[in-house]
Amino acid sequence: MSLKADCAESQSICDEIALLEKRLKVAKDRLSGLRPNSDAISTIPRILPNNGSLAASSRHFLLLLSDSALPLGSFAFSSGLESYLAHSRPNSSFPTFLEFSLASYASTTLPFVLAAHRNPIGLVELDDTLDAAIMCTVGRRASVAQGRALLSIWDRSFSAALPGGTSTATVEALKGFTLLLRSTSSVASSDIPLASAHLAPLFGAIACILGMSLEQTAYVFMLSHVKALLSAAVRASIFGPYHAQKVLASVEVQEEIRKAIEREWNTKTENAGQTDDDERSPEQSSAHF
Amino acid sequence: MASPFPPSSSAPGEGCLVAELTPQKTSALSTMTFQYPLKLISPSPSANQKSVLVFLLTYGGGLVGGDQVHLTITVKSLSKVSIVTQGHTKIFKCPSPDVTTRQTLHVTIQDGAALCLLPDPVQPFGGSVYEQSQKFIVSETGSLCLLDWVSAGRTARGEDWDFCKWNGRNEVWSSGEETKPRLLLRDNVLLDGDALSGSKKYLKKKMHGLDLFGTLVLRGPLVASLSAFFLDEFSALPRIGARDFRSQDTKDKDSILVLSHQEQWRKDRLSQEATDRILWSAAKVRGCTVVKFGAHTVEAGRTWIGNMLKEEGSIAASFGGDAIMCVR
Repeated sequence: MSLKADCAESQSICDEIALLEKRLKVAKDRLSGLRPNSDAISTIPRILPNNGSLAASSRHFLLLLSDSALPLGSFAFSSGLESYLAHSRPNSSFPTFLEFSLASYASTTLPFVLAAHRNPIGLVELDDTLDAAIMCTVGRRASVAQGRALLSIWDRSFSAALPGGTSTATVEALKGFTLLLRSTSSVASSDIPLASAHLAPLFGAIACILGMSLEQTAYVFMLSHVKALLSAAVRASIFGPYHAQKVLASVEVQEEIRKAIEREWNTKTENAGQTDDDERSPEQSSAHF
Repeated sequence: MASPFPPSSSAPGEGCLVAELTPQKTSALSTMTFQYPLKLISPSPSANQKSVLVFLLTYGGGLVGGDQVHLTITVKSLSKVSIVTQGHTKIFKCPSPDVTTRQTLHVTIQDGAALCLLPDPVQPFGGSVYEQSQKFIVSETGSLCLLDWVSAGRTARGEDWDFCKWNGRNEVWSSGEETKPRLLLRDNVLLDGDALSGSKKYLKKKMHGLDLFGTLVLRGPLVASLSAFFLDEFSALPRIGARDFRSQDTKDKDSILVLSHQEQWRKDRLSQEATDRILWSAAKVRGCTVVKFGAHTVEAGRTWIGNMLKEEGSIAASFGGDAIMCVR
């Protein structure tokens, strides 16, 4: 009797084991279903792929230059927004101003960014030419203040982290420019200074040294302008920070920037000027993208 | 018998003007050549003229689509030239946007010489395509007074910035004895009409109700006082957004005070600027003074700039009253 009972108990334990084993198998299958390449784990390299140090570092510097924490002082200037509001109240429209401001900023300064990126050796001449083409006292002050700040960032921060494979001639050109700037600012004279350090050509030259592509450079330059305008608009209480992000993220702004870059891609610096804009004549706007 | 007319250069639209100081210490033209469609006229000189007056004309008072005018002016040491026009330079419409009407001016101003270029506004008609390029090479002691203005077109016919394209470029270069010329100022104004931009009323919207847009460029010792005048008046303008916080009582009391001539004139001008919707600014750019102004109507703009030039008075004193005939 007891033997029979023992036998029945051991049978039930065996059944339970079988059941548990089955469940374990199902659970293991489920797990492997969730991780289809669980076998391949061992093939993933322990470190990130290193596809060229220059490409990796250029992405790094792209993020640094597009960061709003970059201490350029861009947010100290409203690019004419305050004046526009004062002159057009109560009929002012921020979208209209943004559109005009983007087109105007692109046509006056973007050719200098592109030219400096294409040929950083000609930095001194580009800087001098841009200085002759800025008619507005406030605009000149803004451009020079940001340009000098960028040069300081280069000097004190970026130059120590130069990516490998950068052209030494370009770095030397920038060094020469810094020396020229110091020598002119130390001599107090009524003569026109040989170097002023405007933002646009310096941005192009430094982005070139840091390995950023021409398109990236132009896009970041224009986007920074939009960010500065939006920040000025928020401070002028036109709208709040969420709406500002909405405008910044909008398809319209992306499209405007893309169009502006396309339009100025082949504009020579001597043809850069105050424009009312939209489409420049066909021979000047043959797009590269 | 020698031809009484000046010999003409060969290429159409080409012109050349050379002014120099005569032994009698007056300025005179030593060369004046021009070819259709350009026409230059200089009234017979008088003994006490302050500068040589030259009318810059075109046949029919304007430029037909595709016309090219190229004028070279040399103002030799210590001589003075004033250039004026007889009315708006009309820019007639072009058959297609590919046909450009072009005017180029190349001026060299030598030591102690001066040029005063005060033409009437350029009036581009609907559908016109126009490019203007003016280059001035000014010596260290040379002087330049340049006015470049453009109107909205034939507003009486309803035109309102209806042209196809208007590009204006003004460059001032310094010339030194041994150094190479250096660019002091480059002002490009690029206005593309709706036909090119593809969007309707875009240019009109951008011009913000202005019918006239002008640029005055000053450089050199002879116009130094005029430069200072514009810069002073600009800094005396009321701040943007400034308000009059005086009570009515104080205002009445203040209105009895006798103002100096300058203060009274400035007060009148400011109220005129408000009614005529004049918008202006002045800036110092690398040794040059640039005044930009816009006006609601062409006449208002003309009155405003004329008022400024006459109040200061040095242009008429240095170049003679005829030099400012465009604002008389």
